[in-house]
Formats: sequence, structure tokens, C-alpha cells
Amino acid sequence: MTDIDLSDLVANMLSAAGDSLKDKWPESKDYAESEFKKIGETIIFISQEVLAGRMSEEKTKLHLEMQKNSSKMVLLTLEGLGLLAVEAAINAALKVVSDTVNSAIGFALL
Amino acid sequence: MKVKSNPFYAAHRLAFCAIISVLIFSAGCTSIKLIADYDEVIDSSVTEFQKNMETHLIKLERNIGTDDASHENNIDFYDEARVELSSIRVRAAAILKNELTLTQIELLIQNLENLEKIHELGIAANDIPPLRNAFNTGTTAILKLELAKKRGIEVEE
Repeated sequence: MTDIDLSDLVANMLSAAGDSLKDKWPESKDYAESEFKKIGETIIFISQEVLAGRMSEEKTKLHLEMQKNSSKMVLLTLEGLGLLAVEAAINAALKVVSDTVNSAIGFALL
Repeated sequence: MKVKSNPFYAAHRLAFCAIISVLIFSAGCTSIKLIADYDEVIDSSVTEFQKNMETHLIKLERNIGTDDASHENNIDFYDEARVELSSIRVRAAAILKNELTLTQIELLIQNLENLEKIHELGIAANDIPPLRNAFNTGTTAILKLELAKKRGIEVEE
């Protein structure tokens, strides 16, 4: 088994998440970076325990499955934050339409 | 009068009416929601679950190697935790546009099942750090999304 480089691992996770989220990425990056770093450190810890013969294969699989599930939960939060950002943008645009129409007709129609 | 009969102005007026109609139609729903509203019960239940899980992990850590840390002596915790998460899952499923949170709860349930399998194999000191990280990361993710659903209110880190 080769050594895992934490910074490479976190950078690759961030890059994959960033590609998926595109323009909604900047505001979520700090949260993602912090969580992926913790997950990366944990994966390295597990691999070190395996290499030292202190963790069985059966347990390792379960631990890695749990870290994978936690990563999915982080990604789902990022997706939700992205949706909330899109929602806010659409609602801001709708408000402009409403304000413009109300102002043009002189009373609050919308 | 002459202007009104001009086909150029007539087309202009028609286009203007069409644009206004589209604007009124789209603004008819003055705001949209792409994701569920904040739910206080999910917030407090997931926070409570995290607290119970941390208590469980601290007790296991303290009692490793003794009967108190055996799986048999902790079955009640797993039964109660399952009921707790099942109840949160039902709540999350009942809320419209809440698929992301629902999936997160299902992943948390899978992690609880994996924890119990690890416990059945015999818990060791080196199991605790990855277990703690998995549950803290997962519950933080659920709570971060839930709090963001408050919309417009700053979420404390």
C-alpha cells in the first residue's frame, strides 16, 4: 500500500466537488475544505492502523463505508446550499419584475 | 389616430402587451422555493442524536476492555438510537422538497448500522476516532443544511 498524501487527497476531493457545483462553489468552499480535510485525515489514520496490523480487513471496510457516507452527506449539504443560492437569485429577479410592474402601474398589483 | 393604425406601432403595442403578460405571469408567484423550509424538530432531534452518540462513544472509550463496553451490554443504546433516527426519517419524509435531508438521514442510519457491526466485532481504542469523525461530520452536514433553510439568517459556524 502506498502512502496517502493528505493535501493531494483533499485537493482532489475539492476539485471534484467544485466541478459539480460550478458557480455555486465559492461560498461553500470553506465548509467543504474543512470537512474533506477531517475525512482525509481519518482515512489516513485508518490506513495507518491497517498497515500496522491493528485493524482487521472487515472493520476497515466498515470504517471506510462510514467515511464514504459522511462524505456523501457533506456533498448533499453543498447541493442544498447551491439550490438555496439559485432560489435566492430567482426570487431577487422576480422581486425586480414585481417592483417594476407595480411602479409602472402606480399601485401594488403584484 | 393615424399612429394607432400604423402596423409598426400595432406590432410594438402587441409586443409590449406580451412582455407585460409574461412579467405578470412570472411575477404572479412572487417567490419560489426549491428546497424545504427549516424544521425545528429535525434541528433539535439531530442535535439530540449527536449528543447521545458522543456520550456513547465517550463511555465506550472509557470502558474499552471491560464488560461495560461489550456489544451485549449496549444493545439498548442501538435500539433507542434506531427508533430516534427512524422518527427523524419519518418527519423528514413528510416535508415537501426535503429529499436531500431525507437522504442524509438514511446515510446516518447506515452509519449507525455499520457502527453496531464494528461493535459486534469488538470495539478497540483505534475505532473511536474514525467513528467520532463519521458521526460528527454527518450530523454537522445535516444541521448546516437545516439551518441554511432558515434563509437570509446568518448561519453560525
